[in-house]
Amino acid sequence: MDEEEIEKAVMTYLKKKGFKQTELAFQEEQQRQHPKTALHSTNSHVDPEIACQILSFSSELESNPAQYHEGYGKLRSWAYSSLDLYKHELLRVLYPVFVHCFMDLIAKGHIQEARTLFNSFREDHEMMHARDLQKLEGVLSPSHLEEMEFAHSLRQSKFNIKICQYSYDLLLQYLHKTQSVVMLGLINEHINFQVSPGQPTSISDDAEVVTLMGSGQDAVNLINQKEIHWGLLEDSLEERLEKAGALVPDSAKVDGEAREGEVEENKKRPYEGGKQGASLKKSKKDKVATATGKASRVETSTVSVAPRVKPELTLPSIPAEVEHSILEDLRNRVQLSSAALPSISFYTFINTHNGLNCASISQDGSLVAGGFSDSSLKVWDMAKLGQQTGYATSQIVEDSYPSDSLLGANSGRKSYTLFQGHSGPVYSATFSPFGDYILSSSSDSTIRLWSTNLNTNLVCYKGHNYPVWDVQFSPVGHYFASSSHDRTARIWSMDRMQPLRIMAGHLSDVDCLQWHANCNYIATGSSDKTVRLWDVQSGECVRIFIGHRSMILSLAMSPDGRYMASGDEDGTVMMWELASGRCISPLVGHTSCVWTLAFSCEGSLLASGSADCTVKLWDVTASTKLLKTEDNKTGSINRLRSLKTLPTKSTPVYSLQFSRRNLLFAAGVLSKNT
Amino acid sequence: MSTVPQESIEVISQSLGINNLAPEVLPGLASDVEFHVREIMQEAIKCMRHSKRTTLTSEDVDSALGLRNVEPIHGFASGDPLRFKKAAGHNNLYYIRDKDVIDAPLPKAPLDTTLVAHWLAIEGVQPAIPENATLEVQSDNRKAEYREDGVSVDVKLPVKHVLSRELQLYFEKITELTVSRSSSILFKEALVSLATDSGLHPLVPYFAYFIADEVSRNLNNSYQLIGLMRLVWSLLQNPHIHIEPYLHQLMPSVMTCLVAKKLGNKFSDNHWELRNFTADLVALICKRYGHVYHNLQPRVTRTLVHTFLDPTKALPQHFGAIQGLAALGPSVVRLLVLPNLEPYLRLLEPEMLLEKQKNGMSRLEAWHVYGALIRAVGLCMYNRLKKLPTLLPPLRAMSRSNPKVITKIPSKRKATVDNMMQQPPLKKLATNGPMGSLTANSVPVDMSGTSGGYAANIQVADSSFPSISKTFSNENVRGISARRDGVASQGYKSSAVLQQAWKEEFDTGNLLPLLYEYFGESMLNFVPTPELSLLL
Repeated sequence: MDEEEIEKAVMTYLKKKGFKQTELAFQEEQQRQHPKTALHSTNSHVDPEIACQILSFSSELESNPAQYHEGYGKLRSWAYSSLDLYKHELLRVLYPVFVHCFMDLIAKGHIQEARTLFNSFREDHEMMHARDLQKLEGVLSPSHLEEMEFAHSLRQSKFNIKICQYSYDLLLQYLHKTQSVVMLGLINEHINFQVSPGQPTSISDDAEVVTLMGSGQDAVNLINQKEIHWGLLEDSLEERLEKAGALVPDSAKVDGEAREGEVEENKKRPYEGGKQGASLKKSKKDKVATATGKASRVETSTVSVAPRVKPELTLPSIPAEVEHSILEDLRNRVQLSSAALPSISFYTFINTHNGLNCASISQDGSLVAGGFSDSSLKVWDMAKLGQQTGYATSQIVEDSYPSDSLLGANSGRKSYTLFQGHSGPVYSATFSPFGDYILSSSSDSTIRLWSTNLNTNLVCYKGHNYPVWDVQFSPVGHYFASSSHDRTARIWSMDRMQPLRIMAGHLSDVDCLQWHANCNYIATGSSDKTVRLWDVQSGECVRIFIGHRSMILSLAMSPDGRYMASGDEDGTVMMWELASGRCISPLVGHTSCVWTLAFSCEGSLLASGSADCTVKLWDVTASTKLLKTEDNKTGSINRLRSLKTLPTKSTPVYSLQFSRRNLLFAAGVLSKNT
Repeated sequence: MSTVPQESIEVISQSLGINNLAPEVLPGLASDVEFHVREIMQEAIKCMRHSKRTTLTSEDVDSALGLRNVEPIHGFASGDPLRFKKAAGHNNLYYIRDKDVIDAPLPKAPLDTTLVAHWLAIEGVQPAIPENATLEVQSDNRKAEYREDGVSVDVKLPVKHVLSRELQLYFEKITELTVSRSSSILFKEALVSLATDSGLHPLVPYFAYFIADEVSRNLNNSYQLIGLMRLVWSLLQNPHIHIEPYLHQLMPSVMTCLVAKKLGNKFSDNHWELRNFTADLVALICKRYGHVYHNLQPRVTRTLVHTFLDPTKALPQHFGAIQGLAALGPSVVRLLVLPNLEPYLRLLEPEMLLEKQKNGMSRLEAWHVYGALIRAVGLCMYNRLKKLPTLLPPLRAMSRSNPKVITKIPSKRKATVDNMMQQPPLKKLATNGPMGSLTANSVPVDMSGTSGGYAANIQVADSSFPSISKTFSNENVRGISARRDGVASQGYKSSAVLQQAWKEEFDTGNLLPLLYEYFGESMLNFVPTPELSLLL
């Protein structure tokens, strides 16, 4: 074998495999070798040795499974014994290496070795990646890797790791010194380093450091650079109330622009204006300025009032009497802040026999719907149970009235209205903004529309192929969105049998969704641990929010349209700024699944309900203000302030709803065995 | 390799009718089974989350199978979590016992789902209603700490106490009866009602006040006082009333009725009875609440002893004190009365003698006191003898061969004197029972047998000590006073013996002769029957 030939073969092999560092090392070796050979009168008997060594090296790579275990073990102990300053950065490398070591071993058929590797090192990653590990644990043959989407996506995409220059150098140095080709290969293949000059990043913000992206980081960045008009709808009732209350002189200008949308609204305005007596007005005086600059993209706006945008959907008109009552509510709204906490009326379901899957409360709190696993939907009219809607009594009134049951089968004396029609567990229910319709989604992959006035099923929407996890009415009614196990979210209107838009892109189930206040966007939370924001008009994904560590269970949009909150399975709540797509701060406090989130009507408080039997109130204004003043620099370090924790009596909180007057309604099931 | 053992695969395949499964296939199948089971469980967890639960149920597995388009497994639906049992001998093996399902009685029809509303918070503050979880203990601790530091003193607002109309009426009726008609049958009924009815607790402070008030006002009316003391007795009897917090208000009144100088009209009223009754009342209170208030009995005893040892106090006061001490039990008598017996008797003696005390009233009082002393000391001795029967020394030298004593054996039993007489002594010993029965109750004593003259009229009624005293006071004075001289002669030696009488190891036998010296044959009545027979 010719010496140069071997060398060339080795070089090409290394190039093919992408072992650039090894290649360099090899070249160095060559440099050293040449003087040596020159000294030793060009004897060829050394060269085959090297060749054999290298060849055996590469063959070892293929065959010897112990190398993975050894290599990973060494890398691990090196990372753990490194300087504290760089330790946390170097530790981040371990998880991707670990996962890929495991999958490599499986793929090569070394099942036993893969198991031992997995079991000996899994504790290191248990805290951060428990669920992923659970998924991977079951993989026992190469074919499973092919079958499993999670493994698939792991194999196909790269991990992004932010690392400082020095740590990166340290890592490379180590890999070179120890000649651990396997590790080097894995790191080269599956990790995408974002090397940053200067000091290592602080430990606290490592939440989003190791993230896995199906489409790659660049795509995410691209998506997140899209423009979002997160402002509120122009000419909303709130706005009109404000205008009427403040009697802004140049409101005519705004009116002129608004007129093109709805002509009829103008007739009502003087009437309302006359009605405005001692209306409470918001303290924001610079309203006019922003109203004129509406529909402009104000990404890092320091102006406190949200800009106005035009609706992309044609909005339904509101009946006059409903509008009147809403305005009345708005006038009587209690201003909430960290000093003025809301009153909470709690609706407790009893005797559900573990059958209640979801609870929903209408805007005014008068109706409560429960979706059950026996396919039924039950609606309670709290006005009939108690005395008054807003002032729920503490005791249930015993006299039940004859049920107006839908199917007449249960004509016994019941305190609720029974809606039957689904053929599988009901996973979600939502009231239309005025409480006259209910939508329910079920595991039979249908969505049903019910009328609370007629107590009957109106429409059955079929379109999803798998259980529909969530359905939500838009803030203006008429339109609604649904999310399903089939990994899509769909937009519907009440009068069409077919969906208007299908949002596809999530890598796993779409578990929850929420409308943006201006109805132009919907947010979806998924089991792939991301939240996405979709444009309703175009059906495009406009934001991807990465940071959660487990499946997302609940979403809420702030009324000013600027922020979004998302809660996950571990009890973490994250606050996002829509415009930038960044996490303002994680809210840590809950110890179990966050089932529900709700913003107060003026957006100063966030309420969260969890499986740990508590309702927590968070101060939103404090943290966002802080963010603004400090110019987003330390945004992720600041935690939202938890104002109050209200424990319930062993009742997980399923649903939260702020009424227009800022009374908070909560619902949950009394569970004795927890 | 996989957690599913290959044997399981083999067994399952055989149960499916595949007997010739190649062994090479097993590991592959096992790992595949595990993979898919895990996959389904992960889907099931997803379903569980969407059902907003934190415990996995069989239903979730069913829906997970549905998601995978696998036929669901029927027959495991259950609204409640299944109860697993640990298989004996295996660490991680659980099973559901089928027997429970088959043998269980038909369950009740499940209650229908209902919805209840309550306030979780009102303007951010959780109201303390039963629907809300109890506030954390932590906050309470913190509050307590503050109090200890003295930083914040929490001032309790005066609570407005509202009595129901019915209770007001009841209280008025009872007080009226007590004041005006304390001897009527209706009053007895009222006392029974007080002693048994529940729901009277709100009235207790009012009663306490009423009693204190009336006692101080009616010191001249012993009937009134007896009525009031009975009221106290009834209140103490009532199991529904917690009278402990009000004892400190009641005790002064009660003690007044026991040791006051003047109770009722000296000549017409029977204040002895009142004192007797009150003595028992005090004993009852001490017995029942002594463990709650550690200083209750010491304080009562101290008061009584002070009265007893104060020669300036009137004789009725002494009487009350002695009765009170006697009622508190023989050990109290032994510790506090016996050491002072000798000097006291010396003091008392002149009062009893016709020659020295011309005032018949005072003489009568002295005899009352003497009778009370006999009873107290006698009971104490009886108790000692019962306790230490073997320590009896031969006493024949002292005892006179008085046949009446032997034939008319006194009995400590209430109202069964005659029956007891017929029984053989052995049996009587058995029926006499433990000495404890003698200490707390007032023991009626048949005082017959000392001197034949009045043996007939000594049938002792219920706790009627005065009658005993009366018998003494009649005419027996001379005999006793004759003996008294003898006592005086051997005074010094005997007082030394008495002073040591409290010592446990002291020979009880020595006590009896001494007491015999003091009180004569009446003491023999307190000697338990078998011992007496031994003695004589």
